[in-house]
Amino acid sequence: MAEAFMAYPELRHPFQETPIHPNGSVTVLYQGRTITLSETGGGDNLLIKPEDLGRINGFELKPDGACYADMCIPLNDELLSTTEGEQWFDLTAFADLLEQPWVVDREAGVWSFAEIPAKRKNMMVDAMAPEFEVTDRKGNVVRMADLKGKKALIVTWSSW
Amino acid sequence: MPVWQQVYEEINDPNFVIICAAEDVGGEAAAGPIFDAANPTYIQVVDVDHIISSAFNFVNVPSSAWVDENGKIVRIDEGTYSKTHAIGEGEQAITFGNDVYTPALKDWVTKGADSEFVQSAEAVTGNIRGHSFDQLKADAAFRLGNLFRAHGQKEKAEVYWQIARELNPDSVNFIRQNLTLTEEGSAGETFMQLMGDYVSEGREYYRPLDL
Repeated sequence: MAEAFMAYPELRHPFQETPIHPNGSVTVLYQGRTITLSETGGGDNLLIKPEDLGRINGFELKPDGACYADMCIPLNDELLSTTEGEQWFDLTAFADLLEQPWVVDREAGVWSFAEIPAKRKNMMVDAMAPEFEVTDRKGNVVRMADLKGKKALIVTWSSW
Repeated sequence: MPVWQQVYEEINDPNFVIICAAEDVGGEAAAGPIFDAANPTYIQVVDVDHIISSAFNFVNVPSSAWVDENGKIVRIDEGTYSKTHAIGEGEQAITFGNDVYTPALKDWVTKGADSEFVQSAEAVTGNIRGHSFDQLKADAAFRLGNLFRAHGQKEKAEVYWQIARELNPDSVNFIRQNLTLTEEGSAGETFMQLMGDYVSEGREYYRPLDL
């Protein structure tokens, strides 16, 4: 049997227990981003202010619908509704429509959304590299699109 | 990681980049010192949420993709070792890796589309693992677990990491990352048992190296 290995065993439980958002706001996780929303509505679903949509998943509300690159999803009364004069966008209904999985911890008020499958379809069709956005150790944002014109080896590893 | 820096320096081509992503919920504290020891000049990412593995549908480390100047993947999902490595001595010694991957990589950087190691789009798409609804959902659950871990809420982290493992049992990354929370670590008895089951069930955690 191989010896147990962990590069830094003292890091198993390295953090002090802290509340995720003590002020009662809602947290959305999407593609490595943590977005805090101070205004949300809804019961079982997550209703957000329409202006927050873009900073969550890059979609913009346009006359044709909720749009990202060349994709536009027509809106309906379920997705975009008005209650007491306030507009709300149903982020969970939108995810369901796009077959985008999500997981929620209601006690903590955190909604975690997986990648939107339609954003990845080109990889499975014609081997185009998927979009991704990560931040390097110098704080630079690295996007797949930024690598055009260069060959790239994208390689993973881990300390564990 | 020192090995990739050496390869990067040997290739020394301004139109070639390496993005090296540490799939590590331990973050900078866990991966940073190992990166620093290599003194790397390539792009280094501490990928707490395994964004890169998810994007390319990798299930284990080290895995990789070669992406050409037009953004097209020309090889993917192979156990990515820059050379043959040896651990231990005498009868206890084990070796892993190979000595063919780095020469193939260098050939591709030099010759581009004319390299014999470039695969067709059809071959590449055939080598990309599927990423089902449940596997995508596993990513969401895993990241929720990461958030709880980062806030010191180990019990809740374990709940969501376990959900991720159940939704995507092919992910060796999730299994081993989860085991880092245990005293035995990520390569102890549980891991060896899991990997034995994995192999006996005929599953592959890398595509066979076809070089």
